[in-house]
Amino acid sequence: MLDSEREQRLDAIYSAALKQDASRRPQFLEEACGDDAALRQEIESLLGDERKLGDFLEKPALQAAGFAMAGGNERWLAGQTLGPYDLLELIGAGGMGEVWLAEQKQPVHRRVALKLIKAGMDTREVVARFESERQALALMEHPNIAKVFDAGATPQGRPYFVMEYVAGIPITEYCDQHRMTLHERLELFVHVCEGVQHAHQKAVIHRDLKPSNILVSEVDGKPVPRIIDFGLAKATSQPLSAEGMFTQAGAIVGTPTYMSPEQAGSTGVDVDTRTDVYSLGVVLYELLVGVAPLDFHKLALDEMLRRLREEEAPRPSTKARALGEASGAAAENRGCSPAGLARQLRGDLDAITLKALEKERARRYATPSELVADIVRYLRNEPVLARPARASYRTRKYLRRHRIGVAVAAGLLVVLISFGAAQTLQLRRITRERDRADRIAAFMTGMFKVSDPSAARGNSITAREILDKASKEIDTALSKDPELQAQMMQAMGDVYHSLGLFSQAQSLHTRAVDIRRRVLGPQHPDTLTSMNSLGASLAGQGRYAEAEKLNRATLEMRRRVLGPEHPDTLKSMSNLAIALRGEGRFAEAEKLNRETLEIRRRVLGPEHPDTLQSMSNLAPALHQEGRYAEAEKLNRETLEIRRRVLGPDHPDTLKSMGNLAVDLYEEGRYAEAEKLDHEAVEIQRRVSGPEHPNTLSAMNNLALILYSEGRYAEAEKLDRETLDIRRRVLGPEHLETLLSKMNLALVLDKEDRHAEAEKLLRETLDIQRRVLGPDHPRTALSTYNLGVFSVHQGNRGEALSLLQDAVDHGLPPNVDLGIEKDPDLQSLHGDPRFPALVAHAKERAAAARKPK
Amino acid sequence: MRGESHGEITELLLAWSSGEVSALDKLIPLVYAELHRLAHRYMRDQPVTHTLQTSALINEAYLRLIDCSRVRWQDRAHFLAVAARAMRRILVDYARSRKSLRRGGDYQRISLEAVATLHQARSTNLVELDEALGTLAITFPRKAQVIELRFFGGLSVQETAAVLDVSEDTVLRDWKLARVRLYHAMKRGHEHAG
Repeated sequence: MLDSEREQRLDAIYSAALKQDASRRPQFLEEACGDDAALRQEIESLLGDERKLGDFLEKPALQAAGFAMAGGNERWLAGQTLGPYDLLELIGAGGMGEVWLAEQKQPVHRRVALKLIKAGMDTREVVARFESERQALALMEHPNIAKVFDAGATPQGRPYFVMEYVAGIPITEYCDQHRMTLHERLELFVHVCEGVQHAHQKAVIHRDLKPSNILVSEVDGKPVPRIIDFGLAKATSQPLSAEGMFTQAGAIVGTPTYMSPEQAGSTGVDVDTRTDVYSLGVVLYELLVGVAPLDFHKLALDEMLRRLREEEAPRPSTKARALGEASGAAAENRGCSPAGLARQLRGDLDAITLKALEKERARRYATPSELVADIVRYLRNEPVLARPARASYRTRKYLRRHRIGVAVAAGLLVVLISFGAAQTLQLRRITRERDRADRIAAFMTGMFKVSDPSAARGNSITAREILDKASKEIDTALSKDPELQAQMMQAMGDVYHSLGLFSQAQSLHTRAVDIRRRVLGPQHPDTLTSMNSLGASLAGQGRYAEAEKLNRATLEMRRRVLGPEHPDTLKSMSNLAIALRGEGRFAEAEKLNRETLEIRRRVLGPEHPDTLQSMSNLAPALHQEGRYAEAEKLNRETLEIRRRVLGPDHPDTLKSMGNLAVDLYEEGRYAEAEKLDHEAVEIQRRVSGPEHPNTLSAMNNLALILYSEGRYAEAEKLDRETLDIRRRVLGPEHLETLLSKMNLALVLDKEDRHAEAEKLLRETLDIQRRVLGPDHPRTALSTYNLGVFSVHQGNRGEALSLLQDAVDHGLPPNVDLGIEKDPDLQSLHGDPRFPALVAHAKERAAAARKPK
Repeated sequence: MRGESHGEITELLLAWSSGEVSALDKLIPLVYAELHRLAHRYMRDQPVTHTLQTSALINEAYLRLIDCSRVRWQDRAHFLAVAARAMRRILVDYARSRKSLRRGGDYQRISLEAVATLHQARSTNLVELDEALGTLAITFPRKAQVIELRFFGGLSVQETAAVLDVSEDTVLRDWKLARVRLYHAMKRGHEHAG
């Protein structure tokens, strides 16, 4: 109580003191506190704090805690997790977006910088462009380059990049802070060039070199520059035209200070290694003189770009002199007098800097290492190549190096394209003679077969270049020999198919069918082969009804022409079954599959790849009926034979692994399933490529397993990854794309992001209804899951009606049978309507099991 | 479930307004849950470009939870007081949970209260503030409440005055004194800790 009284008194005196003029306070306090020195001291302390309060508690807690972010549209970021990254602290913000210090937990535990690109860019395109360069970026390994690890998108759709965290400051600031001499600056700059050179050798161009992307930190007491943001400019680049430089609001996003003249050109962005050399030249200029060569301050954009293209940079020594007073500070930061600075710059350093800054690319240093070589010559007092006095000698030398430079820059790509072109030229000459044409066709078929993953083990990307090129040329190149042309089209279509690029395959197969029908006749075995392939390409795209029709026609003709047990006839049977399955007609599909398997076992033998294919195709039917143990047995058997007969990396072997993983998953053996699927994904990525449909299936399944294990963040990341690629590769309305979408919705729901999940699922269901029809099992499955969402939200009535709808419209039998045990439906168990639903579902399942 | 709480919460609010103290204990968790859910939803769904306002959140909770036809306008003030208390708990709980998460809990899951550790290092430590506020409330309960209403509940001076049934001048004076007291107490905490 005493305490309380004292507090009240303290409060009263303090309030009164506040009202006093500061100069009157000491006297006032003396009077008010009397001899209570402690009280007076406390009040004085409070009065002192009053001045330091700032905005303490002024903003409501919610806002103060960080919702009002720069830009404002990503409000709840800190403490959030983006995939495997925990955002810790905002460490920078700029025109491009924000940079966060983040913590990665798997597969390695480390601190990273996460760059969140501002909203408004096409996220998918940005990430796709990054992906296209990921491999090249992964190859970079250099002490002066900060590695870029990853790219992705936030749930709100903003792209982000993850890179090595560098705790440094921009190179220009570092040099000034440490008052480094020109000599020291040049030595530091040489390391920067070496980093850029390394990247160029890996065919990566930075495109956005500037001091804020070159951070210096100290390692063992020595300054080490690290270049950040490699690969980001390309992924996020927009044409640097007037539009590109402005945001929608009309605010300018950046100045072209470090931009090369060719980047300022009006005709698209045409950059190469020399673009980086130019930017390095600007950085060098600034390191030496203290300012950038061209002043764009307060200029209209058009004028900026014009100057950039046309105005020659003044010599560094001239600029230093022209700076007047400002050069005093610059000189001091470089440990010399203004006159001394100009003197040091004049001559060699002028020449080197201006050569890097030539407007015309051909006159610049071709590579960063040439720039380095000249700097090193200067540091050693050797004559530099950039001096005009040595022009003729220099030009000869330059041209020689220049050719090499281009080759290095363009790298593998140029080699491949020119190789492809040479092949085409050769073709044109040779097709005049038929027998030689056959040979070249065989040769080319062989060449294409290299990119068939089952033969090539993963060269798909490079071979793809040849293939795309050749498929464009084939119409004109072989038009005089339609038979050969059709043969080539067939072969190329097959390769596309094995790469999982079904629409490209379809286009070539369609043309092959047309030509062969015309030239060979509609019943010729080759025509039928092309028809069969076309059916497979259609099925691959999820166009099952069309595939079914075509497969039936092909099967009928093959039976007639080749006989009912010919291997090709059996292939048509098998493919027809796949189309039926795709249409959700499980019973018919299973019947046909069993028939085919039986004939194949008898005719081709139990270990023939086709026989194994039939076994593998049969397993999903067992699944649908919940006969998981049987399916597991069948898949194990198939896997074992495939490993032995086809090898462990064969696509079919991998499919078996994936299927077996699904069986284990259904049996609730998650750990085993995860291990197997993980392995399958790894091998698939390596062998078939990261975008192959089989790789995607394995990824999808792995996500499902992670989901079932409650590892939602991982599952979400993988689902998103799969969905993005499927959307791009298979199209937004493909059966499998929609499956990924549904799965993603399920994860989001588990993450308590109900509204988002429901929206996504409803969207999916709408497309499924339209594209697959209301009776397709996948449509029914989405309906069922929507029902589950309703259960979660406590809307029993709606839930029951959705579940009923799902059961009535082709829900797969295994789900029908599982309704009773579905933990998500537990809260319906007390509802009087639930037992009727369960009974109804069981009837449906029993009916579905009987083949029609 | 939610349909049922609608009437229940109104009932509790009326009971508390008419002096039944125990109603408050039942009320707070219900309001807590609704605010929590709303904030969660805001955070997830809306690509809003403006800042999430505490008052907007509380208003929406009010409209959702309270049957407006049955309450007087004074009851709204009581609701705001409850909501501010609930917000305080949400935010402080979150700040606390972030601490323990750092030691390796279940951080896979993104949870609402990503009420940003962003400025936490630089701005107010909510856990400490909560403790200091508890101490302040012993001697100056009204001052502590002003802080709770304004800082945690996001109420304006006018609303705060209405809730506490005092003049706006009083609110401002309390506010000023309480801020400096809390600042002082928290600073001292740091000095001792350091």
